[in-house]
Parts: sequence; C-alpha cells; structure tokens
Amino acid sequence: MKRKVVAGMMAALMAAGLLAGCGNTEKPASTSAADKSTSAAATSESSKSESSKSESTASGDAVTLKIFSNLPDRKNGQGLVEQTIIDDYEKENPNVKIEVEALDEEAYKTKFKAYAMDGMPDVVSIWGQPSFLDEVLDAGVLAELDQDAYKDYGFVSGSLDGFMKDGKLYGLPRNTDVAGFYYNEKMFKDNGWSVPETYEDLLALAPKINDAGFVPVAMDGGDGWPMAIYLTDLLERVDGTISEKVNKAVADGDFTDPSFVKATELLKASADAGLFQTGYDSQDYGTAMNLFTNGQAAMFYMGSWEASMALNEDIPAEVRDNIRVFSMPATKDGKGKQTDIAAWNGGGYAVSANSKVKDEAIKFLNYMYQPDKLSKYGWENGVGMSAQDQSAYMTGNETELQKQFLDIVKNSTSTTGTTINDRGPSAFKTSIESEIQNVTNGTTSVDDFLATIGTACK
Amino acid sequence: MKKLYSNKLVIASLVFPGLLVFLFAILAPICLSVYYGFTDYSGMGAANLIGFDNYKALLKDSTFWLALRNSLLLAIGFICIQHPLALIVAAVLDKLQGKAEGFFRCVYFIPNVISVAVIAYLWKFIYNPDFGLLNNILHIFGYQGKVNFLSKEYAIWSVLIVLIWHGFGWGMLIYYTGIKNIDPVLYEAASIDGANKKTTFLRITLPLMKPVIQINVTMAVISALKQMETVYLLTNGGPGNSTQFTANYLYQQAFKAFKYGYGNAIGVVFIIICLLVTVGLNKIFAEKTV
Amino acid sequence: MEKKIKTKKQWTVGRVLLWVVLICVAVIQIFPLIWLVDFSLASSNEMFTKGLLVIPQKIQWGNYVKAFIDGHFLLYLKNSLLINGLAVLLVILISLMAAFACKRMIWKMSGLVKTLLLLGMMIPIHATLLPNYKIYNMLGLTDTIWALLIPYIAFSLPQALFLMTGFLDAIPVELEEAAVMDGSGIYRIVFRMILPLMKSSVATVAIMTFLNNWNEFMMASTYLSSPTWKTLPFSVLEFTGQYSSNYAVQFAVMALTAAPAVLVYILLNKHITKGVAMGAVKG
Repeated sequence: MKRKVVAGMMAALMAAGLLAGCGNTEKPASTSAADKSTSAAATSESSKSESSKSESTASGDAVTLKIFSNLPDRKNGQGLVEQTIIDDYEKENPNVKIEVEALDEEAYKTKFKAYAMDGMPDVVSIWGQPSFLDEVLDAGVLAELDQDAYKDYGFVSGSLDGFMKDGKLYGLPRNTDVAGFYYNEKMFKDNGWSVPETYEDLLALAPKINDAGFVPVAMDGGDGWPMAIYLTDLLERVDGTISEKVNKAVADGDFTDPSFVKATELLKASADAGLFQTGYDSQDYGTAMNLFTNGQAAMFYMGSWEASMALNEDIPAEVRDNIRVFSMPATKDGKGKQTDIAAWNGGGYAVSANSKVKDEAIKFLNYMYQPDKLSKYGWENGVGMSAQDQSAYMTGNETELQKQFLDIVKNSTSTTGTTINDRGPSAFKTSIESEIQNVTNGTTSVDDFLATIGTACK
Repeated sequence: MKKLYSNKLVIASLVFPGLLVFLFAILAPICLSVYYGFTDYSGMGAANLIGFDNYKALLKDSTFWLALRNSLLLAIGFICIQHPLALIVAAVLDKLQGKAEGFFRCVYFIPNVISVAVIAYLWKFIYNPDFGLLNNILHIFGYQGKVNFLSKEYAIWSVLIVLIWHGFGWGMLIYYTGIKNIDPVLYEAASIDGANKKTTFLRITLPLMKPVIQINVTMAVISALKQMETVYLLTNGGPGNSTQFTANYLYQQAFKAFKYGYGNAIGVVFIIICLLVTVGLNKIFAEKTV
Repeated sequence: MEKKIKTKKQWTVGRVLLWVVLICVAVIQIFPLIWLVDFSLASSNEMFTKGLLVIPQKIQWGNYVKAFIDGHFLLYLKNSLLINGLAVLLVILISLMAAFACKRMIWKMSGLVKTLLLLGMMIPIHATLLPNYKIYNMLGLTDTIWALLIPYIAFSLPQALFLMTGFLDAIPVELEEAAVMDGSGIYRIVFRMILPLMKSSVATVAIMTFLNNWNEFMMASTYLSSPTWKTLPFSVLEFTGQYSSNYAVQFAVMALTAAPAVLVYILLNKHITKGVAMGAVKG
C-alpha cells in the first residue's frame, strides 16, 4: 500500500516537474530563463496532446478552472475584488468556466491540507509564511512560477520573499497587510475619549469605555491568530527588533528571552484590564467584527484588509463613515516606537503543480496580477494595500481609512514581517494559537505558555 | 425447502452487498488507520514507519486525556441530568390524554429534527454575551453584568446544555414508549393496594423500565464518547482545549497540525475505547439482569 | 362524558403542577426557535436589544430572499433529498437481504457474518474520516455523490440490520413454507412476500436512517468541495462566512434550513414518533 502511494506521488511530482519545464529534474538554469510561453505551451502539449499548440485558448476547447479561495464573502471587500476579476476573465475568455469554492480562513486551511494529500484545485489561496508554506512546498503540490515573468508587475520589494524556496518562486502575494486598531471616531468624540498616545493610555481607557457600556476593543480571540498578531505587535513595542529573536527562538524552541515574557505579560494584563469584550476567547471573527460595526465596541483590532468596512453597505452609515485607524501605540519603557508597525505580506495565490489545465491556471494567475486588476480593483474597493505599486490608481477620493493606512505604511520606521505564529512549523502555529487563549484567560501562566510553545517547535 | 434455503449462491448474493459496504467503508479505513498510525505521515510527502512512537506520544498527550475526561463529564451529565428529566417528563406526559399529549410530545421532539449546524450556530448566538438570549434573560432578572457562557470555566457545561436540549426529545420519547408498554393491569393493582403516585412510580414504573434505562444509558455513554459535530461548530474545542473531544481532536491533528499519522493513531485508540466501553457496558448490564 | 368528569375531578394542585412542568419544558424546547424566527425578520442592528424579542420596525422579508437565493437553498435541498432518499432505499434493500440470509437461510457462517455487520454500530463514525478521505481520493470518489452515499449507508446499515432481524422474527416461517410449496424462489419470497409483510418495519428503518443522515455535515464538508452535491447544512455553514456582517440574514438562513425537517415532522408527527419509538426500543 505504502509503496504504491509513494510511487504514485513520485510519479505525480515528476510529471509536474517535467510539465513545468523545471523543478527537480536535471535541467539546470537554462530553463529558468525560458520565455513566458514555454512552460504554458509545454503543459498544453503533454496534457492534451491532440489539441493545438497555440498558447491562446480563447478559441480552444472548453476549460474549467477550479479556484479554491479563502474569501467566502463574494459581495464585499477582497472577495468582491476576486469575483470581479473572475467575471472579467470569463467574459474575455468565453471558453473558460471558473468554479469557485470559498471557505473561511480556518476551514480553508484545514481543507487545503486535505486537498494537498491528493489533488488540488487549479488556483488556490496560499500564505507566504513558513507555518503554511514549508510543508506544502516540501510536498511539491505547488507549481513553480517563472520569476522573470513578473519583473514588470510592480511587486513591492521583498514581498515575494515569503513565497520563495531555494531561489524558486511558488506563489504571488496579494496584499501588504498591516495590523491596527480600527476605532469609531464618533463614539470617541461623543464620549470625550482621545486616541491613546501610549499603550498605557490605551489600558487606562479600557475602564472608561466599559463604564460607558461599550466594549473597548473587539477581539477575535476565538481564532487565536489575531491575538498572535497582537502579541507580535506588542513584542515589537517592547523589544524594537523582534524579528530575529523570534526566528532564533523558533529554531531553538526556547522562548525564555525577557522580551517574550514582558510582551506576554502585557497581553495578559490587557485582557485582565477588560480591554477585550466578555468572551473574547471564544468568539470568532464575525462576532468580534459585528460588535464593532454595530456600534457596540469602540475599537476593533484587525488587519488592513478590513479597511473595506468603510464602503460596506451592510454596516450602518453612522459607524461606516466614522471608522478610523491607529497603529499599536508604544509602551512607556519599551524600545519600539508606534511607527514600528506589524506588517507583512501574507495571503496570495498559487497554481497547483498537478493541475490538468495548468497553462490556463497560470494564465489566469497572471491576469489577476495585471496591475489594473487586483491592485486597481482592490484599491477602488478600499480593501487596503496590494503587494504591488498602486500609486497609479490614487484618485484622491480614497476613504479616510485608506489614507490613514497609507500614512501608517509611509511613515513606518520598521515592519515586523511575518507574525510570530506563522514563523514556525504548523504544529507550532496550532499550539501557540490555542495556548494564547489559555494564557490570556489565566488557565496557564506566562512561563508555562512560553515553555509549551517552545516544545511545539521541536 | 432445506435445499432451497442452503443454496450457497443465493446466500452469497444476499449477503454480498452488505459485506461489501462493510469491507469498503468500515474495515478498509480502519486497516488504513492502523497503518498510518504507525507512520509519521504529515498528510503530504512520504510516510515513514516509526513503530509505536505515535502511541507513546499519545499516552503523554494531556489534550487527549482532557478529551476523554470531557466525554466522561458529558456522559455523567446525560445520565444525571438529561435522563432523569426525560424519564420524569415522560411519566408525567403518560398521565395526560388526548390532544395535549400529542401536542407536547411533538413540541419536545422538534429540536431533534433540526440540523446540528443550525443548532450549534443558534446556540452560539444564544450564548453571546452582548445580545444573546440568555444574557437578556439574566438582565430581566436584574443581573447587570455580562456572562460569558463559553468561557473556559463554563464552556463544557454550555456544550452539555446544548446537547441535552437537542437530545431531550429523543430520550423522552424512548422512555415514553417504554412506559406505554407497561401493562396497565399493574397500575390498577397498585392503586387497589392504595399506593400513591410516588410509590407507583418508584415501585412499578422504574423497575419495569430497567431495560429501557440500560439501553439509554449505554447510548448516552457512547454518544458522549463520539461527540464531535456540535463541539466542532460551537467551540471547536476552545477556549484553549477546554471543550476538546476525541473525534474533534483527531480531526484537528490530521488536518490542521499536519500530523495525519498521529491523527490516525488517535483514531485507532478511539475505536478501541468505543469497542471496550460498549462491550463493557453490555456485560455489566447483562450480569445485573441475570 | 366520562372523560369530562375525570378531568374535572383531577383538577387539583398536583394536576396544576403537572401542567406547569409540561409547559415549562415546552417553552424551553421551543422558545429558542421562536427567538430565531423573530430575529430573522428584523434588521441586523435591531438585534442589540435588551428585551427578549424584538418587534421589527419593518419586517425584513428580504433576509429570506437573500437566504433562499445565496444559500443555494433549492439545490442543496434537492441534493439532501436525493442523497438521503437513495441511502434509505439502499439501506432497506441491503439490510433486508442480509437479515433474511442471516436469519432464515441455513449456512455455517451466518452468525459470524451477522456479528461482523453489527460491529459497525460500535465504530465511531468520525474515526473513519481521515482514512476514508484518503481512500476516496485514491479512487476519485471525493466530490461525487458516492463519497456521501457509501458512508451514510455503511453507518446506517448495522442498526437497520438489527431492526430487520428483530422484525423478521415476528413473521411465521409457515408462510414461507407455503410459498416454497408453490414453487417460489428465494428472491421472490424476500421481495414479494416478506417485504410487503414488513411494511411498518421498513418504515421504521427508513425513518431512523433518514433522521441519522439528514443532518450530517461532517463527512459532507470533508469529502465535498463543489456545490454540485452539497447538502442542506451547507447553506448555514457557507452563509456565516458570506454574510459575516449581517446577522439577520444568518438567522434567516438558519430558520430556512431548519424549516423542511420541522414541517415534515409536524405533518408526519404520528408516524415518525411511532417509527422512532419502535426503532429505539428495539435498538
């Protein structure tokens, strides 16, 4: 049984490698410089041998592309952008039918791993982070992309790094993500609260907001990863240059460095101070966000992808028009500044290595990344920043939120890069995202928490 | 006749579909599970045989034991809360006649036909501290704070309440049928002897219901062990791992933590536990009845 | 007349108490559903109320329109009906055949085979999720109707077999003997004679199987990916993501998903109760 499975996988791998005209066969550098069309043409040749060799399939056979996406809301924000591009593509290529399967992020990641075992949809959402990508790439389920093809796509420098392995590119980033506190400006004004200058101010604000009958910060604590981002943000405030320390800690499985202790204690103190809503540790994304969008919470800690809230018609105008954002304030005695922001290139797209319609899939991928697609549509829909140069699409009509995020990025003195939970293997990610609930709600001590996540790295 | 009834070909053709389904959908996966349980297979790439390492790790895995403890809690909850309630309500219902009886029976059973998906999400809303039904009820009674029913202290009880609520109609119906099957002559005899309602219930109803109770208790323990769907949707094992159950845990390990091999090892142990518990309970009850 | 006197006589403290208990339990069982329907007709921001129920300013039927269309209600309902219907049919057929073979036919292994088939009752269904996923993938069955049909049948079969053998005992062998005299073959006996005789038992098996599988979603969500065969619970699962910022629509989709089963139950209440009671007490 085992031999059969392994053999099958090897065969699939080798076939994939050959088809892509690269990979782990003995053809070195020469192929990587091949022009854009070779890989596509090669695939079409061997997968449907009788069909024409022409790269354009516009007049060709009917093709069904399966897309697996982590954006279930197809009517707002990023999901709308993705759907718009898909509709455009289908219009321009009438022979192509695109089927989308979309799931929530958590459910998506689970199902993705199930898919990775045998046979994935053609185009998939991925995350350019070790916790997600390392094992996926080891298994060879993603197709290698031709780096040179994307020189003119205007990717922000460094944004492709998370999607590379051994100098080969396997995916493209969709966004530049920045974490911050969304806040309801009107609520702040009406109650006479001011935007906190330091983290201590923020903590001091918590009881005031609670007394006024509101939730200070709506936190999606049920999922674990938003709090891990929060912790990363705090680590940066405490330490100033946390990135290398995290990498070292993950490599050694040792999180005893005082910075980790301090930041975790700060996070726990915040939860104890009532900064988050009652039951934050069991409530999911939607519940937390709804607290904020329904005017029940003063702030909402989340990534820049939710900047589209400012345009979401489902949200009452009173809230929608008053959403503003600030980045994690600095702590009094920490080494980091407020401008050392938590920002990373996380989500993106890739093509399945053993897709039967890989040429079409890559064509679609490239289509999405044409500067006037993801970047332009994304910008118009207020979903935050893409990983490409968007300056051409600035109209001056952006929402306040978008402008604020732009300023945060423009004025940043450093960025954290990939957040702590995504820097280790997936077992580490699973561990920290569930243990972080335990440490904030007091089930485990800070020391035990750090010890446990350390063990999970090994 | 005998010849006709021992025709091997006919027998084979009658049993074949059932056996095929059993082999393909139950036996084959279990064998595959046993195999993967001995490997370090992550779900992708190669699988290496690693002997009993997964099982050794399992023994030391506190979450696994926590999951078993939760199953035990759930079973106790079923037996000590749901079943007495269901039995009493069934006995009370038995005293009613006509339309009212049918009406209540129908109402009690309705939650049972509703999908777990709906139930779990509905209760998520009911437990919500900010606008949930339960907190609003507490407000009416003058409590001003917000109670987080899904906090680590309460979550397992909140899960239990949902399951009791959802399964109440089923348990009630079974007891109800059992009571209906009791020969009314016995009750008449009791009332002639001057027994009051309480004694009748304790002396006649309860003892005669023993086999039904035994079946129900066995079912309760098994369903507590097998619990997955409600928990998966309601809390997904959280906060922390406070509402973790075995089935949910093996699913998470395999599909989230990239430990397909380990997940299968949990699955194998899980199957063995279920078999042992079922057989054990049957044995205990069998001895008692004799 | 007699009844009237009886009720009058017993209208005592005890009887009042009895009614209070029954009504309380009924309220507990049904109120969450009333709450669900109520909120599904309101708009999202009306939900943050301090009262138990809201009186919507304007009844939002639009919530249901959204739920109906975007929740793929009709498609998923059709899939659910088809898959469950087929599962019920096959379970009845297979279990009847196996029950007859094990109970009436004369062969050495009959006991063993029966025990083997009944063993499935003890196997936790979710333990097979991981390996079955692997198997279905290898055979290319994922995302097809078989990925659901096979496990649904497999895990309903033991119980069905158990019930069928029990019911079969109640049918006198003499009837069969007569049929054999007339020259009927086994198949004819099973399908033409036994099956019609066991109508109520078959109904019980059908109801139990249907109830077992109708609401199942764990396997469905693991084995299926495209909407082609997705079943009704998916309306809810997909919606919470799609309409994460609109609670009222989520409530509407939940109410809509629950509706078919509840309606059918209320209509067929007597039969279903009888079926479940028969099945449960035997099983």
